[in-house]
Amino acid sequence: MTKPSNVIGRQTSKFITRQVKAIAITFLIFLMITSFHKINAVADAELIIRFRAYVHGVPLELNKQYKNPFGESFEISRFRFYASRIAPVYTDSNIKSDGRLVYHLIDFSDSVSTRLVLPVTSGLCTGIRFLLGVDSLDQIRGAQRGALDPARGMYWTWNGGYQSFKIEGYSSVSSQPAHIMAYHIGGYRHPFSTVWKIRINTTDDIAFRLTKENKITVEVPIELDYFFDGQTPLHIREISSCMTTGEMAWKISENFVGSFNGLTLSKNP
Amino acid sequence: MKSLRFISAIGLCCAIWTNTPYPFTVPKGFPLPVYRFKNNPRTRQGFELGRKLFYEGKLSRDGNFPCSSCHQQFAAFATYEHRLSHGFNNQFSFRNAPGLFNLAWEKEMHWDGGISHIEMQPLAPLLDPHEMAEDLENVISRLKKDKSYPVLFNEAFGSPGINSQHLLRALAQFTASLVSADAKYDRMKRGEVHYDEYEQKGYAIFQQKCGRCHQEPLFTDFSYRNTGMELDTTLRDYGRMRITGRKEDSLKFRVPSLRNVFLTFPYGHDGRFTTISEVLEHYNSGIIQSATLDSSLVKGIPISENDRFYLISFLSTLTDSNFIKNPLYSDPQLKGKIALPVEDSH
Repeated sequence: MTKPSNVIGRQTSKFITRQVKAIAITFLIFLMITSFHKINAVADAELIIRFRAYVHGVPLELNKQYKNPFGESFEISRFRFYASRIAPVYTDSNIKSDGRLVYHLIDFSDSVSTRLVLPVTSGLCTGIRFLLGVDSLDQIRGAQRGALDPARGMYWTWNGGYQSFKIEGYSSVSSQPAHIMAYHIGGYRHPFSTVWKIRINTTDDIAFRLTKENKITVEVPIELDYFFDGQTPLHIREISSCMTTGEMAWKISENFVGSFNGLTLSKNP
Repeated sequence: MKSLRFISAIGLCCAIWTNTPYPFTVPKGFPLPVYRFKNNPRTRQGFELGRKLFYEGKLSRDGNFPCSSCHQQFAAFATYEHRLSHGFNNQFSFRNAPGLFNLAWEKEMHWDGGISHIEMQPLAPLLDPHEMAEDLENVISRLKKDKSYPVLFNEAFGSPGINSQHLLRALAQFTASLVSADAKYDRMKRGEVHYDEYEQKGYAIFQQKCGRCHQEPLFTDFSYRNTGMELDTTLRDYGRMRITGRKEDSLKFRVPSLRNVFLTFPYGHDGRFTTISEVLEHYNSGIIQSATLDSSLVKGIPISENDRFYLISFLSTLTDSNFIKNPLYSDPQLKGKIALPVEDSH
């Protein structure tokens, strides 16, 4: 199975030299001067996003048996990930859309958390972008609340930091006790950062217009076939768990990024 | 009448939440701390709550392991005379408990630097199944049921609820306040006392042979280095590599501060050295060569018998007896009395 071409994942850069900083500051000043010409980004519309997980095109149900592309059976009991800075991708590049720095913990055992309503600027769009995981700066801000409350079960205590995502369950081919399958994927330090900037286009690049009246729900499908049969084939028999940072976690995170499929759109009544 | 009611309402609010600012003073000659109580302004009430929590058994699963069980004031908040500490269900911890002092200057915590913020540090021992073996939600619900805590949290943070953020911030107000800067070394630096001949000679040898990594005034440069200690095959601890996943970081551990070094034995990340003499002998003749060995240690550090004598004289001037006796840091239940090491304390 090949990776869908409309998914672009890019690792956030951790290393900024002083020179780059100086250039960035100059550039920022330039931007500030020129930005008067830009369209004022007012949140006058709403974007509704629904994350949905699939296995081989069938909507995922927790605690139900499935088979991955390698014929290995598995079931998922926990599936969570962090998303932030969610923003539409506008056809008009003048519309700034960094997305608000709000962390959402998408948890498939809590359907409310999988549907987000975000205030955005109206305009013609072809996709969305967001940050998967928790940005390195927010990893070291100290005790936080809401989605980043360590009591939410996404914080690692021996290697301080938030996991980017967690897929946990059982598989008959797992050699772990009780056939546990556990991918607790985190790490924000260079070079094995599992924090990714993700941009997803609509299927066939169909543009959609966000206006005050035109409420659109964007469905973000996560196809778990690509999670297993991704850039690095993930055979449960060989790798039934990954709960530490490092190269393996980074590779698994790359597979996860690849499992975000093209957006589908639906109009809200 | 209305305005009177309004004023009295404000007055009532103030009466409910009157926390007293408690500014943090940077000792003379110290750099600016990393943790400056940003978002968590130090108050008398916050500090006192953190102190009570530090000595609180309710933070552990069976009630027996408060923070202070492994961080004892008389040992400069290390575990006295223990290679590894004891935790829940007769288990040992993975590493030697470090002394707790001058934590506000630490960018990262743990022997491998795995923790990047002092407020998040308590989660490590709290949730570790070998240590306090607890769960955040259990701790919070236990504190909520307690008679005194809801009041104390309200006094410290102005809201009656207890949540993980306030729990962690209160602990940070206490732990970041543990400042040790009144050893004979500090008094010498301030010109209040003079070193004797031995201490002076030891100081010179120290600056020449140890001071590059154990940098003054904090006596660490906070770097991670492989000091040529053989891998313990039962612990299989690769140090910094556990955190970064990089081969270059294999067997690197953080340079520990040498302040209060006379109190924090045994030494090393796994407490393998019982005495300072053993540590000095290690640098003199025990370095194990490996790919990541610190470049300054390839030939070891020759330390003669005489050097050792002087060095130990100097290192004893790093003991801050005011710190270990400071009633501000002691168990509030002892009401100012200081706990002393006893045979059976774990």
